[in-house]
Amino acid sequence: MTSYIIRRLLYTIPIVFGVLLLTFVLFTLVGGDISIEIAGKGATQETIEEIREEYGLNKPLFLAWDSQFINHFKSALTFDFGRARDREPIIGKIKRGVGPSLALTVPMFFGIVIISVSLALVVASVRGSIWDILAVFICVAGMSIPYLSFILFGQYFLAYKWGLFPVFFSPDLTMAQYVALPVLIGIAAGLGGNLRFYRTVMLDEMRSDYVRTAFAKGLDTKRVLFKHVLKNAMVPIITRVVLAIPFLFLGSLLLERFFGIPGLGYLMIEAISSRDYFVINAMTYISAILFVVFNLITDICYSLVDPRISLE
Amino acid sequence: MFAMKHKEKRLLVIALIAATFVLTGCDNSSSEKDSDEMVLRHVLFTKIKGLDPGNVRDVYSNTVTSQICETLYQYHFLKRPYEIVPLLAEGMPQISDDFLTYTIKIKKGVRFQDDKCFPGGRGRELKAEDFIFAIKRTANIKYLSQNWSMFDGKIAGLDEFRRITKGCESEEDVDYSREVEGLTASDEHTLVIKLKKPWPQLVGTALADIATAPIAKEAVYSYGRDIVSHPVGTGPFILKEWRRGSYVELIRNPNFRGEPYPSEGGPGDAKAGYLDDAGRIMPFADRIVWTVIEEYQPAWLLFLQGKVDNSPIPKDNYNEAITETRELTTAMKQRNIRLEKFSDPSTFWLGFNMQDSVLGKNKPLRRAISYAIDREEFIEIFFNGRHLVAHGIIPPLMDSYDPNIKEKGYARYDPEKGRELLKEAEKINGGQLPVLKMAVPGTDSFYRQFGQFLKRHLTAIGVNVDVEYMDWPTYMEKVNTRSVQMFCSGVRASIPDDEDFLGMFYSKYWAPGSNRFNYLNPEFDKLYEKIEVMFDSPERRELYRKMELIVLEDCPAAFLNHRVVFALHHDWYKNYKPHAFAYGMSKYRRIDMKKRAEYKDLLKKIK
Repeated sequence: MTSYIIRRLLYTIPIVFGVLLLTFVLFTLVGGDISIEIAGKGATQETIEEIREEYGLNKPLFLAWDSQFINHFKSALTFDFGRARDREPIIGKIKRGVGPSLALTVPMFFGIVIISVSLALVVASVRGSIWDILAVFICVAGMSIPYLSFILFGQYFLAYKWGLFPVFFSPDLTMAQYVALPVLIGIAAGLGGNLRFYRTVMLDEMRSDYVRTAFAKGLDTKRVLFKHVLKNAMVPIITRVVLAIPFLFLGSLLLERFFGIPGLGYLMIEAISSRDYFVINAMTYISAILFVVFNLITDICYSLVDPRISLE
Repeated sequence: MFAMKHKEKRLLVIALIAATFVLTGCDNSSSEKDSDEMVLRHVLFTKIKGLDPGNVRDVYSNTVTSQICETLYQYHFLKRPYEIVPLLAEGMPQISDDFLTYTIKIKKGVRFQDDKCFPGGRGRELKAEDFIFAIKRTANIKYLSQNWSMFDGKIAGLDEFRRITKGCESEEDVDYSREVEGLTASDEHTLVIKLKKPWPQLVGTALADIATAPIAKEAVYSYGRDIVSHPVGTGPFILKEWRRGSYVELIRNPNFRGEPYPSEGGPGDAKAGYLDDAGRIMPFADRIVWTVIEEYQPAWLLFLQGKVDNSPIPKDNYNEAITETRELTTAMKQRNIRLEKFSDPSTFWLGFNMQDSVLGKNKPLRRAISYAIDREEFIEIFFNGRHLVAHGIIPPLMDSYDPNIKEKGYARYDPEKGRELLKEAEKINGGQLPVLKMAVPGTDSFYRQFGQFLKRHLTAIGVNVDVEYMDWPTYMEKVNTRSVQMFCSGVRASIPDDEDFLGMFYSKYWAPGSNRFNYLNPEFDKLYEKIEVMFDSPERRELYRKMELIVLEDCPAAFLNHRVVFALHHDWYKNYKPHAFAYGMSKYRRIDMKKRAEYKDLLKKIK
């Protein structure tokens, strides 16, 4: 297994290089020159030139030791992403945003996984019944409602009308207070799609021979579901669950924006709208690394839950 | 038995988790630190970029920074028309006979806020040198200030200082002790500014602008690039916390000298209660909290809950707040909410790139487009009928506004005339006109509706348009590189002087400067150069009107609307007189704590 892990880690080098090259090409070559925009209204050509020098935009793109790409590469490898356009160190911005983002996405993620997997097991065990039909109907309805509607509805009724939660972030509130409603909304909005997916996975397993064998041997439903079906359904569950973890780092754009949670989703969208390539590059790079690492963790988990899968 | 116990245990755990979740989430008002503190609670609809006055150019950053750092002059809080009055200056400047030298006495005993950048942490006294430092800093090319254009070519020796800074390695290497002929301190409290040519707007434009507000040089050296989040000024408030993109919290500055609330105002101010606090020492508030909320729904709901003091009216909530007769609805009156309506010194337009090969040479085409747009319908659809039709550049609030402007230009709806002019335009073009491209600075539904509206009207007279929706940076890049044909834009005056509006048509300010139309008319330029050095007078106002007519004749833009602001505030929010140049205004605001406390009961009663 160790050699497999080392090999996989070595594979990450070309992947990371590819990501760096891609972000550089996209933002530097396709995105265009940002110096005019940074200079602001009524700037002189002299100021624009100075900005180009300050941000290294007057350097060659590739073919030099001090080229823009080499500098981009160096800053990524050393995790020294420099300063954002508002002159704040980018790493400071990321560190500050991780906490609120994870406080929102982690409970949401576990809430969705636990509830949807549990409900999927129950629904799959009563497939074809009125409860199963009702669950599918609710899932489809939930998936059809736009995410924004969940937010607007939740904020208006649960927070404003009924006063159960704060409407928006305030420095006087604790983190638990201001993330509670967005977490609930996130769970409600994410449940439909997840429940349908896990129900399908469970149903596939329920149709397997070993399940019929287990029932034939007289095992009770609970034991069949939790001991056999759940265990055999772990591979698709792990694929979906573990690969979703890196995205937790990116936070939730809409929820963060509507509830004022100062997380990384908000940071990312701000960076995109203001074309702050320095922040976008840093976030993309960190996300890519997390994605590669969690991909590896997924593979390791496969071998742990299914001895038939060999990492060699 | 065991199974039963196990089940109960599980249920208990689930119940506990749910209860914790609900209880932590409950909107527990007791957690708010209201107590007896007078807290101003506001919303910022976009995040602020920085709190370093030398590089502040956007409205929101200015709104916050101007509470911390002060300028030499400010606009009177109550008097209209707007009157410039001293703030850190002792009085109005002494101006030499040739209008080139300004001598300004600075108030004595003004101290910077306490900060660890000072020896012993105690803020020192403000001196004339601090203003010189502030202006030199803006000139430092390595500092990359967005405010430099204000001083470009205006102060003796400052351009040379800027050239010298170009040779420095970094911002920190610049020697600020290097003398600049036009910026001297004749003593610790006297600032002398020498100009290259008369600059009548010096006091109103530069010396009342946040760019010249002194920030302690000790802080600049001590915090380096982090100065954006460590402003050390002389203002009534100091920064307690700024969580970027989330909120800003200021607290009262204990070193603030205390300023008396104005004792004189405009007609009707006493009756409206704006003079109730006359002579009282400001600031009144202990704390200010601005929360960044970029979506209208939460901001509106917080306002209705009484958790913010004032609010604009979101388009979607307009009917909830305002009746057809443009008054407050009963629901708002029940909550003791007040409405303030005021004209904003702004103009919006559909601009034409005058260097474009199709539009630039075809005056009938530009006029036809201007005739094609039904501005009243536009204002009704997009602004609930609140705004005013713009028939020219100068908005009604300004002194040189011409009330008969409607009859003088081409900014009115007349599709028939538009069609006639289009035939002429096609002749000039030598055949059918190509599809014109219109740049719209946004991609959300508002901008898409806006683009569709303009397209519909232009198509109705036979002009084919391709609307290009783009994000703001892309739009700016295209406008600045003169690669758009038509563009939607607007401007708001930064001072009560029409120069802001007319300067947009001066040929030396072509894009990336403020003349985004890339308009050139030698007659206009000549007049602009004349008014640029003239002090306010009836003659100058007449010239402003003449220049406006020249622009209207050439039609480099189809002027659309002037903004009229409808703002709401709770009745506990006192001294909220609308001000077009509302910077550093928080010191005037006061909260009627009793009324604010009663609001919760009022809400219960309404429910």
